[in-house]
Amino acid sequence: MFSKAPKDSRSTAAWRIALWTTVAFALSAALAFYIVYLAASHELWARSDAWLSGEVEVLAEVSRSTPRDHLDDRMVEEVAELVTRELPDERNSKGLRLNSVFFLQTAPAHQPLWVGPEPKQAFFSAIEQADLSPRAPETVSVEGWKAPFRVVVHTGENGSRTFLGLSAHGAIHQLHRMIYRFLLVWLGMVLLGFVISYQSARRTLMRVEEITETAARIGSHDLSSRLPAPRSHDEISRLAETFNHMLDRIQASVDQLRTVTDGIAHDLKSPVTSIRGTLEVALSEQTEDGWRENVAEAIEGLDRLAQLLNTTLDLAEAEAGALRLEREPIDLSGLVRRLLDLYQPAMLERHHHLQADLEERVMVDADSTLLNRAVGNLLDNELAHLPEGCRILVEVSRNQAAAELVISDNGPGFPPEVSHQAFKRFVKGKQSAGHGLGLPLVEAVVQAHGGRVRISDQRGGARITVSLPAAVLEPA
Amino acid sequence: MRLLVVEDDLPIQEFLERALSEAGYRVDVAANAARAEALALEGVHDAFILDLGLPDMDGLDLIARCRAHGNSAPVLILSARRSVDERVRGLEQGGDDYLTKPFALAELLARLRNLLRRAQPAQRESVSLHAGDLRLDLIRREARRGDEVLQLTPQEFSLLEYLCRNADRVVTRTMILDHVWRMRIDPATNVVDVHIYRLRSKVDREPSRPLIHTIRGVGYVLKSA
Repeated sequence: MFSKAPKDSRSTAAWRIALWTTVAFALSAALAFYIVYLAASHELWARSDAWLSGEVEVLAEVSRSTPRDHLDDRMVEEVAELVTRELPDERNSKGLRLNSVFFLQTAPAHQPLWVGPEPKQAFFSAIEQADLSPRAPETVSVEGWKAPFRVVVHTGENGSRTFLGLSAHGAIHQLHRMIYRFLLVWLGMVLLGFVISYQSARRTLMRVEEITETAARIGSHDLSSRLPAPRSHDEISRLAETFNHMLDRIQASVDQLRTVTDGIAHDLKSPVTSIRGTLEVALSEQTEDGWRENVAEAIEGLDRLAQLLNTTLDLAEAEAGALRLEREPIDLSGLVRRLLDLYQPAMLERHHHLQADLEERVMVDADSTLLNRAVGNLLDNELAHLPEGCRILVEVSRNQAAAELVISDNGPGFPPEVSHQAFKRFVKGKQSAGHGLGLPLVEAVVQAHGGRVRISDQRGGARITVSLPAAVLEPA
Repeated sequence: MRLLVVEDDLPIQEFLERALSEAGYRVDVAANAARAEALALEGVHDAFILDLGLPDMDGLDLIARCRAHGNSAPVLILSARRSVDERVRGLEQGGDDYLTKPFALAELLARLRNLLRRAQPAQRESVSLHAGDLRLDLIRREARRGDEVLQLTPQEFSLLEYLCRNADRVVTRTMILDHVWRMRIDPATNVVDVHIYRLRSKVDREPSRPLIHTIRGVGYVLKSA
């Protein structure tokens, strides 16, 4: 509904990731091969040149030490033949010898001595054209031969010159074979690399796709869908975890909103019904006292309704973090003492024994109106829920960095159905006549001040502890 | 005394007009800021009652414009919002006042009286109060009913003083908490009623001539006659 998986795999991120990875991989592999190739060919040429230089020396030596007679030529020719045999007899598929070698010796007033493939005239002219210097092998192209020859020359004392040539065919052939193998391996690597990176990217992105689908499902249906618990702990798993946490929070808020809406609807309906009924009765009353009584009752009902609305709004504001605190240094003990003055007669009326243990000057940085309401709510709670004749102990103390207010009683404690969720809205005991917003407001106010509220059932009674960060006392 | 009520919500406007007229004020009404400004420029009103959420202008801006025109009549602000804007609190220090909806008519009238009194030249603070045969000596903090001195706690004296200052006018529980205990809280229980009950047991010991009366659904009144 919100997103469709792309039909064409080439428009997926996995494809793009795999493609770019492969391109980068192929380029770097090609570069590495090229460097190896350069080194190998350099080595190959160096070796063949070294061989040429060495052999030409040997041949020149042989020709010099051999007396100049009719056997001389035969002798040199024999040696030259031997030299050509030193090389492995490599032939290509057409049976052509790859390592063709030629030997040429010229001397003034002598017939040139030639050992090598025919026709020798092509070699003679090629050598004549090439400007060769001793001991420096050069590349010489010979007509009728595809591959050039590496040729080295040795000049003797009597003006004789000894040429030795080796066809580059073999070397070139080796290099070509190397390139061909490189290409094969490279193609295989690139292909394999592409497949692997595409697969792994796709598998990773499939998990993202799964999250997308879950999100889409949640948009249109319910909030209960969750992503499967991640096995590993990588980025995507963290995304899934975060996503699940977000869903938990959203579901909690939605549930809470539902509870609140239901609570408000219920809590508004019954007073509205009773107010309406009371006013209807007033209309049909004959005596002034009669309708006066009913109208007054209706107004009292409306006041309770207004109180409910106000508390709900305050609570919503507090929970949304929009509570504006007008902080000022307040003596928590003083604030509690004034509230106890206000509440004491009502407590006595219910035959409660109220005992206060207030440490002097426990300063907090707080909004006095809100704190008054919070502590007032707690005292209202004691008044509303305790059976007659209980003992109530109110303590204020400074506990290191915290100011602590503890209200404990020896009443029946929290009803079991509320004790674990007393701070949730509209949660109230079966016997309670309140609207179930008192404690949530207390908690919201205290939390807005950076403090916390704990409730505990002690042996025979309830105990509420409010801790607030104590204000830093200026040095006296 | 002539008042200008600026309120765009018609039922509330009508209710205010009727209630204030019955309380003896001359009332003009305006449903928007433009009309209100035109009326305010006449300069004949002793106080304004102003709703903050107007359709065409923010109520506070309207006050600023009236002040700019030299109109210094005090303003009682009505706000639907529970937590009051700092700017409104600022106005409270400037001599104006605010009230959040819903409010008790008794409280509106009391705050209005307060505003109008503050706008008058200062009167000498009296040192004693009378209501029927009740006399309060504010300096010695002593209360007498006829010849008999009442044994009151300081708190009870303050409560009685507040009722006496507002003799024959209804005060709500919220007003009592605000003025006697200086707390803007709204207890869910009957804490104020118990205080009144105890005070009454000392002040009205003879049931034939009671001074403190309960107005059900609203609050209490100390009747001087």
